[in-house]
Amino acid sequence: MNVGWRMALSWLCLVLLSQPSMAQTLHYPAEPERANAPHLLIHGALDPPLIAPVLEDFHRRQPHIDLTYRNLTTLEIHRTFLADEGERSADVVMSSAMPWQYQLANHGYARALDGQAARNWPQWARWRRELFGITFEPVVIVYRRELAERFGKMTDHGDLLRLLENERDALQGRVVTYDPALSGAGYTYAVEEARLSPRYWELVAALGGVQADLVGTTGEMLKGLASGRYLIGYNLLGSYAQDFVQTHPELEIVVPDDYALIMQRLVFLSRSANNREQGQRFLDYLLSEAGQRVIGEQTPLGAVHPAFEGPGSAAALRERLGEALRPIRLGPGLLATLDHLKREALLDRWEREFQRATPGPNPHAYMREHP
Amino acid sequence: MTARDSLYRRLLAWLLLPLLGLAVLILWQAYLGARDTADRAFDRLLEAASLAIAEQVKWQDDRLWLDMPPAALEMLATDAEERVFYALYAAEDEFVTGNAHLPALEGDSAPLRFADVGWQNQTLRLGIRNARLEDWNQREYFEVRVAHTREGRERLASSLFHGSLVRIALLALLATSVLVLAIRFALAPLTRLRRAIRARDPRTLAPLKLSLPRELAELREALNELLSRMRRVRANQERFIGDASHQLRTPLAGLSARAELALRQDDPSVWRDSLCAMQSTSNSAARLAVQLLSLTRLNNPEATPELRPLDLNQIARRATRNALPACQRAGIDLGVEVPENAVIVSGIDWQLEEALSNLIDNARRYGSQHDERHQEAPRITVRVQTAPPILAVEDNGPGIPPHLHLRVLRPFYRGQHSDRLSSEGSGLGLAIVEGIARSHGARLSLEEAGSGHGLNAVIRFPETPS
Repeated sequence: MNVGWRMALSWLCLVLLSQPSMAQTLHYPAEPERANAPHLLIHGALDPPLIAPVLEDFHRRQPHIDLTYRNLTTLEIHRTFLADEGERSADVVMSSAMPWQYQLANHGYARALDGQAARNWPQWARWRRELFGITFEPVVIVYRRELAERFGKMTDHGDLLRLLENERDALQGRVVTYDPALSGAGYTYAVEEARLSPRYWELVAALGGVQADLVGTTGEMLKGLASGRYLIGYNLLGSYAQDFVQTHPELEIVVPDDYALIMQRLVFLSRSANNREQGQRFLDYLLSEAGQRVIGEQTPLGAVHPAFEGPGSAAALRERLGEALRPIRLGPGLLATLDHLKREALLDRWEREFQRATPGPNPHAYMREHP
Repeated sequence: MTARDSLYRRLLAWLLLPLLGLAVLILWQAYLGARDTADRAFDRLLEAASLAIAEQVKWQDDRLWLDMPPAALEMLATDAEERVFYALYAAEDEFVTGNAHLPALEGDSAPLRFADVGWQNQTLRLGIRNARLEDWNQREYFEVRVAHTREGRERLASSLFHGSLVRIALLALLATSVLVLAIRFALAPLTRLRRAIRARDPRTLAPLKLSLPRELAELREALNELLSRMRRVRANQERFIGDASHQLRTPLAGLSARAELALRQDDPSVWRDSLCAMQSTSNSAARLAVQLLSLTRLNNPEATPELRPLDLNQIARRATRNALPACQRAGIDLGVEVPENAVIVSGIDWQLEEALSNLIDNARRYGSQHDERHQEAPRITVRVQTAPPILAVEDNGPGIPPHLHLRVLRPFYRGQHSDRLSSEGSGLGLAIVEGIARSHGARLSLEEAGSGHGLNAVIRFPETPS
């Protein structure tokens, strides 16, 4: 493994190790039970409640496959994949860490798919016939309803920026967002947003102005919002938020209508898959209309398949927000995101902008100790 | 006309095969050209991307620093979705950043170099840009290495190649049809010649008159020469037949006149005289017929009897023995001179004997006529010599003047002297001998006898190979 990889990994460790490990396993034994039933091992970074409907439906269609799903963090997925555990190495890898997934595919760890489904998959949601974006998850703003009652509705980044600048005192410490230094997802969004809009840095400065809390996961943000500790959460993963908001009526979810980043779970079939055929079947299923229907209707993940147009589909979201949607481009630009110098440069800038308004203690002082 | 032997096909094959080779060569060239063009076009991407990256390299925190522009990497991936790799190296091949360790390229220090390199089981096109920081106080050298897989290049190359493939195929088609037409056109005179020959009356031997290109004109001339030879041969034959009938008619007319004369008489003694005369005439007519027959047989090119080795001495002795009684009756001294050892030639014994007896007969008939100036006794010598094998018959008669030597070999030619116009001579003897000599590969020549007068008829055989 080369230095670039090791560097990328080392800081990925740093970024993601702080997240609680959620190594849960879902197992669907083959029916009827057989000793030599074909196996399929999936590594995914997707909480079991979200992925379970998909796996169940697949298992119902292919009951003879002994299906195991291991839920890992994006870092664990990356690390175990490169460690290549032989028998226990994953056949199918599914992760929201787009740059890392792209990096693996770019290096040739993914196997090209032959099926019709792979060929017909929308160009913007795939790379070659190796890497496929199977979900369509906007990055959203979530706020408490009382905020809207006090300051009016919020529909885009401009509203948010104005609010943060105008009500700096009222919002001190009541805003939460990803810490790009801690979270891979937060860092990816920061890179993408910095590319999308030069005003992003104003927003960062404004977030610094209200001394926004910086956390590592969407879950933490949602918890803080539900408890009333935060009024506004910025850049939450829409799929998790959607689920959460349904049981928390005091929260409002906003997909910004000036621009909304779209994150996709990227999935590929490992080149060294032990169970290539089953892996291929699973991917074919994920890319099929049936699989996408389950994703669209039974999960908040958002279906990509162009034939599927109901609520929960990419098409429906596009219908609503049109040009504002900015899917993270599945291309070599993602490799730049992983460049460790670029990361240092971006985090430096981020830090500077964040502290511009309030010269105070450096929230990332510890970063310097672990470059 | 079978397919193998067709001139048309042969020409077509010999022209089309090199053409095919040429087409293959051109295709190979086109393929290389397409590859080269595609590489040059795509190398511009490497060039631009490496430049975009190099522009972002700066000196920061006491080291080389790069704010990687994503657009530079996007640039490297075309519709073919190439795999993209980049790396920044400081001086001394020190890796600074990148997503892969890309190899350095040997060679000159040109600011920009490209090469295909094998990297982890795939072929990458690698572009390396040498640059250095143009800072006030920092002159650090660095290398930007960018690479991508070859899918896009191959796609472009194959589409370029397919374009030229179509063009070359069209050209080849055109060339082939032009070639076919040209060969047809060039071979048209041959067809005309064939038609002209086929359309001829088989009995005419008139020369062909047909305007033809040079090569075929030569063939026409050769044909015409053959025809003229055939015309001469036929004229000879016709003359021979005419002479032969004339020769046969004379004794027959004599017979008929004699019989008519005898029938007018009642005296049996007259009849007897007539019958005797008729017998002698019919004898000579029969001999004439026999000679005509053997001459025809000798001239028949189809008959090639097998030659056997035989001894000329024996032939000479036997022929001399056979001719002895007739010569004695005519008071001629017939002798034979042979060498001690056998003289072996390959031939047919009865033919050679026949030739020899003809020559002896000739010598007896014409050579024995006495010349008043010479008071010698008539003499005939049969001589055999070795190396080269020779059969010769020499007489001491008046001989034949040299300017007639060739002419007397013609059938039915008889010496001019009236006294040589004997009723017994058919005029075929020497012609027959010459025919026999020819069929043995030997030559008959008439020479003056060694004694100064008289004729020496010599048959010279070729040297035996042994």
